[in-house]
Amino acid sequence: MEQKQTSVVKTPRNSDGAQRSSYRQSYRSYVGAVSRLGLTSALTARRLNTSRRAPRAHNITDKVSPEHLAVLVKKEWQLSYVTPLFQFRHTQLKRYSQQLSAFIAAERQGVAVEVEEPQHSFKASFSVVHGMAEAEEDAETILIQVHSKHHFSRRDDPEKCVWSGWLACINGSPEYIRSLPKDFICLPLFGSSGGDPLTSSVKSWFQQTFDCCFGSLEINHTSLQWLGSLWTNCQPESNIQHLKMIWAVPVVPPLQITYTVNPQDAWELWTCVRKDAQVEKEGEEEEEEEEEGIIDIEEVNMFMQELKSHFYRHFKLDLSAGNLVQVSTALGSAKTSGRIKISNSRYMISTLTLLTECALLKMPV
Amino acid sequence: MAAKLSLSGPSDSDTSSPSDQSVSGRSVNRSLRIAEKERRKNEAEDPFVLALKYFSDVEPGTPVNGNDQLERNLVCVEKVAYSKGLHPEAISIMLEFAMSLRMGSSPCVRVLKCLIPSSVVPQEAVVRAVVWLGIGKIPISTQVLFIKWVLTVFDMIDAKDQLRAIYGFIFSFVTEENLVCDDLGILVKMRVFRVRKLLELQSKVGRQPFLMHLLSLYKVFCPELVTLSIPSPMKNAFRNHNSPWKSALLAVQKRNGSQVSSSSLSLTAKDKTNSRKRKHCHLEVPALNSAVNKQAQTDSCSSRKVVPLVQIHSFAQLLENMHRIELPAQMGSLLGSSLTLQFLDCVQDESALLRLNSWLGYALHEEFLFCNDAGSFQNSEEALQFLEKLLSTLHFRQEGFSSIEVFLYKFLNAWDGSLLRPQILGLMSNIPVVTSSQIGQFLFEPLMQLFFTSSLFFKCGLMECLNNMLLKWLTWHSVYALEDDLDISLNSHTSINITLSGFKDSVMELVHFVGRLATVGLQLEGCHSLLLSFILDFYETVCDMFLKYGLPLVVMPPPGVFYPALFAADPVSVDRLAYIMYRYKVNLTSAKRQEKLKEQAFHISRQTFHEFNHYVVVMVNCLWNSKMFHQGMGVQLGEEVLLKSNVPQYSNSFDLIHHPAFLSYAVDFHQKCWPGRKDMDLNSIKHSKPWRWYLEYLFTQGYDGLKQFVQSNISWQPIAGDGGSDDLATQQR
Repeated sequence: MEQKQTSVVKTPRNSDGAQRSSYRQSYRSYVGAVSRLGLTSALTARRLNTSRRAPRAHNITDKVSPEHLAVLVKKEWQLSYVTPLFQFRHTQLKRYSQQLSAFIAAERQGVAVEVEEPQHSFKASFSVVHGMAEAEEDAETILIQVHSKHHFSRRDDPEKCVWSGWLACINGSPEYIRSLPKDFICLPLFGSSGGDPLTSSVKSWFQQTFDCCFGSLEINHTSLQWLGSLWTNCQPESNIQHLKMIWAVPVVPPLQITYTVNPQDAWELWTCVRKDAQVEKEGEEEEEEEEEGIIDIEEVNMFMQELKSHFYRHFKLDLSAGNLVQVSTALGSAKTSGRIKISNSRYMISTLTLLTECALLKMPV
Repeated sequence: MAAKLSLSGPSDSDTSSPSDQSVSGRSVNRSLRIAEKERRKNEAEDPFVLALKYFSDVEPGTPVNGNDQLERNLVCVEKVAYSKGLHPEAISIMLEFAMSLRMGSSPCVRVLKCLIPSSVVPQEAVVRAVVWLGIGKIPISTQVLFIKWVLTVFDMIDAKDQLRAIYGFIFSFVTEENLVCDDLGILVKMRVFRVRKLLELQSKVGRQPFLMHLLSLYKVFCPELVTLSIPSPMKNAFRNHNSPWKSALLAVQKRNGSQVSSSSLSLTAKDKTNSRKRKHCHLEVPALNSAVNKQAQTDSCSSRKVVPLVQIHSFAQLLENMHRIELPAQMGSLLGSSLTLQFLDCVQDESALLRLNSWLGYALHEEFLFCNDAGSFQNSEEALQFLEKLLSTLHFRQEGFSSIEVFLYKFLNAWDGSLLRPQILGLMSNIPVVTSSQIGQFLFEPLMQLFFTSSLFFKCGLMECLNNMLLKWLTWHSVYALEDDLDISLNSHTSINITLSGFKDSVMELVHFVGRLATVGLQLEGCHSLLLSFILDFYETVCDMFLKYGLPLVVMPPPGVFYPALFAADPVSVDRLAYIMYRYKVNLTSAKRQEKLKEQAFHISRQTFHEFNHYVVVMVNCLWNSKMFHQGMGVQLGEEVLLKSNVPQYSNSFDLIHHPAFLSYAVDFHQKCWPGRKDMDLNSIKHSKPWRWYLEYLFTQGYDGLKQFVQSNISWQPIAGDGGSDDLATQQR
């Protein structure tokens, strides 16, 4: 067995070989690009999936520990996308906790800090949220929490959690994940909740440690429409209480329109749209009988169109001119700025699947 | 190097053997000194020399106050120091004078402040001064000043072996005297106990800039021991202490034109001005840090010593350690300096390249595609600098990054064609070979839209860019084809095969695409000669593909390019067209010869030969035979239309005499040939003798393309023979 190479540069054996390998390499480094292009051959036209599975009520409480679920469900998360993490190991979380604690302390106080030192004023802890991963390629979700210790608090006082965040990949595109070299872990979706200074500390620690990059992830118009429809689809199983949408209309002064729909009305409209679409589909090809759970983008568009025309009938205002900036139901809320709140863990997976997809669309390579 | 790195070497006092570097440094230094001595012989009576003599000979205890002689000499030294810098011997003398406190401590500070070296600082002088530091009763502030001075000129000290040996002694000043001692960390053997001591000291005295800096050096050398963050204002505060010397030094060096390397770790590593608070920092190249996260290696490779890239400071070191350099924590940091770029050139690791590409792609996407706030492109100055840096990197590497390519394919659809045009076009010309099935969708469609809707200058820029792109492809091919004997199917670890024919297809697509653009572009811009010139540049590359780059492919320009060039009003375009046609001929004949020689050689279609012959016939008939509108020519006009135009002798109007591009030459020639004649009859040049002279005259005006074209296509004897204008035969196949 050859010893594991730590240096990436190989010493050429002779000049001839060296030259050859350099051209091979130079070609390879851009053929690599071409092969990646081949992977997403419709590169310039990458879009969200046009159809997705209707959210099923997950028995997620059986798989994921309630403490973890409680953390994930309570808060509103600010989303980011993350490029693949280099040499992240799920087995090294303890070490990461130590390093991140020291890093935060150093950033906070602006002083140098010894890594081994046990008494940091901020204590970061990493943990794996088992049971979240859906597909085989998905890496397990990572939860990060930062607790603070007050100087005046007693020894046995519970530490206060001042920041939390997670990295997840739910039903990530298997082609993309498989195309990455072994050293990389793909956890493209990052949610954070807590003070901005801590968020940026955690981000820069990740950047420096795993050579990844963080960029803000907005939830665009289409994704918000998707979320509204997916949540409405859950109405019979768990009451969504309301379907609230906020539209920003570009007029001077800027106008925001809040449009709240009764859950039962929304559901009835949705079933009509679904039925129409289903009938149409059956007319085209009859064999697609079992595709019950699949929702198509056209149904979503139609649903939204109907909601808009209803609004127009009453207020003579065409919402198509504006932008959907927020959607909320009892199951959760999502804002275009990339803030998301999941209130019911039963439908969490389908929401996170959509968001993972959005994050993967932002990947630069 | 190795001694410096070891965590648990023997005690501090052992002298590490002088490295090769310092030896060579000394010999260079010696020759410098000899040269300086020579020079000084001539200036024996120089007041500066006298001043130095004064300082070296002055008795201890000489009074300072009211000492005019001291004042005069000091001013003299200062003047020289700030204008030319002090030579090594002068540095020695002045330092010795100051540190020995021969005249008390008051002139000491003033002397230290003007110690601007012109070339190098002798190590002996520094060591002696350190000795004085221990013996004398120098005030703390002066000690600090001295150490600061050492730090500033650290890179100019000719050898460092002895300094290294006494580091332990210098280190003691840090703890006892709170001296600024940062950069001497370069000398130090990193020790756990020292880090502890420093951290302890930090907790006592708080966050002192010098301590922070020393700690940050420890972080460079053993990142796993210390975690540190330096707030950005700190970096600035720290830099200030040696800036007066620094600027004076730079000024002196500039004046002397000498380039003594003065890029010490301390002065470059933190050289980022974070003066403005930036909202977007994605365009900033990350700092070079050694990887902390290397658990995988530490166990398996304890026997193998790796050197973090941060510790490499010169090309020599890079070469020496090439096989055991450890990649930095963030690959993007390799774009930060030219030295690391050298290293990047050797990186073959796929993961490492992916890391780099991720960062680069992220930065480009965030800046130019995802710019979600309204004030996008506000920081176009930074964007400009970033792209410039990227371009110089590409230029240096002579190859692209896949992330740039991916970015461009998306960006071209959103680009307005004017934002950062030169830079974007520069990036584009580095796009590697694109398969012919994808090239249309990724490149041609967006480019076509931009081309037809943009200004003349964009059109010219795009032509230049596509020419550069073609040149790069061809260069790559010529190198690669030579290696693999025309078989460029790739080896196993690539997922795509570009065969020779695939490559030819891509090139053909590109050339045809440019042909289409050029045709329409020339019409849109009224055959603008600037655009024509860029187009002809492109065809100069195309016509030589076979002979210059070994690509068995000949593609002729479309009529939409050929005729505008032939009828251009400026002689340069016509001349260049003639040159291009000449090169086509050379390429085609040589291809034909090869085809006959080797059976398996490629085949050039009859169509290409036909097109070429047709163009040559047109050119010869037009420029030489005055048979402009004859049957079978490219341009055909009805007889009655031509008559209606009232142009006398219309068939003559584009020969070498009447062609609008050459008319002025014909007139000039006529005047020179028959100076006495009142009425000008240009047709008289057509007679065999003047015709020959006229051609010679044209050729002497620098129209070499025309000359080569005429000589290769027209059997025309310039000396003998009476056959004038009509005696020609085009060599056709």
